[in-house]
Amino acid sequence: MQQGEGNETEVTWEDQQNINAFSRLNNKFHELEDDIKLKKEMLENLEDASNELILTDEDVVRYQLGEVFCHILKDEVEERLDALKAESEKELEQLEEEKEAVLAHMAKLKTILYGKFKDSVNLEED
Amino acid sequence: MASSPSERRGIPAAPFVHDVQTYLSQSGLDTNAALTTLQERLQQYKLAEIKLTAQRRDLQAKVPDIKKCLAIVESLISKLGTGEETRVDFELAEGIHAQALIPETKTVCLWLGANVMLEYSCDEAEALLKKNLENANTSLQAIIEDLQFLRDQVTITEVTIARVFNWDVHQRRKKRQAAAESSS
Repeated sequence: MQQGEGNETEVTWEDQQNINAFSRLNNKFHELEDDIKLKKEMLENLEDASNELILTDEDVVRYQLGEVFCHILKDEVEERLDALKAESEKELEQLEEEKEAVLAHMAKLKTILYGKFKDSVNLEED
Repeated sequence: MASSPSERRGIPAAPFVHDVQTYLSQSGLDTNAALTTLQERLQQYKLAEIKLTAQRRDLQAKVPDIKKCLAIVESLISKLGTGEETRVDFELAEGIHAQALIPETKTVCLWLGANVMLEYSCDEAEALLKKNLENANTSLQAIIEDLQFLRDQVTITEVTIARVFNWDVHQRRKKRQAAAESSS
């Protein structure tokens, strides 16, 4: 958030609050990106686990719960994995929605701030 | 836009400067002194931000740990009344596992810290862990809000620094122009 040189546009409290909001949203956006990446990795791992489970001949497999590996029937593990997958997918969806909302809000603030300060203000990532 | 509090958890809010000229004459500072003061303030905010971010990271790591504990306790509870044993591989040392049978159990021991371990019924343990999870999430939320407040103060200060700086450049330019005009 840098101002160009020597251009004297008055900055009102309202402008300042818009800039603050933009800064918050930008932060939020990056956090969401990280969360989404983690969630996607999690989903991939669950997917891998499910696939391995289909291939295995064992009736009882080890499933990590807490710090130990529980011996659990294959079918039950399948259920657990499916439940986890469904939950993760829902969370991922929520994160994506939130990201869209943040981006939309940022775009709106950009129009307002660029409208007022022209090129005296820089809202782009380096 | 929410009204801005004057402080939050001991962090003072950054004053918003409406007019640079008035700000400078009221505080009795010249441009350089004002910039130094603002930079110092910014540094303090950044320091507080680093501390809070570390706190947030700790809490964020705590949440999955509690969830892990809950998962195993819930699994023990689901065996209650079935007479089933839980067969587990548990770690003896890094990379060394042995098998154990956990008979149906009504109680578990929770490590409370400070070298204390207490035996709880499974239901009580579950309730306690859930409460811990809730508390961790509440503190996390509070820290996130603190961080947002701090972010605003950082932004305000940064913008103020830029404005004071620009104002100074502008003043110098005006002076130069005036000097050029009077000499010509």
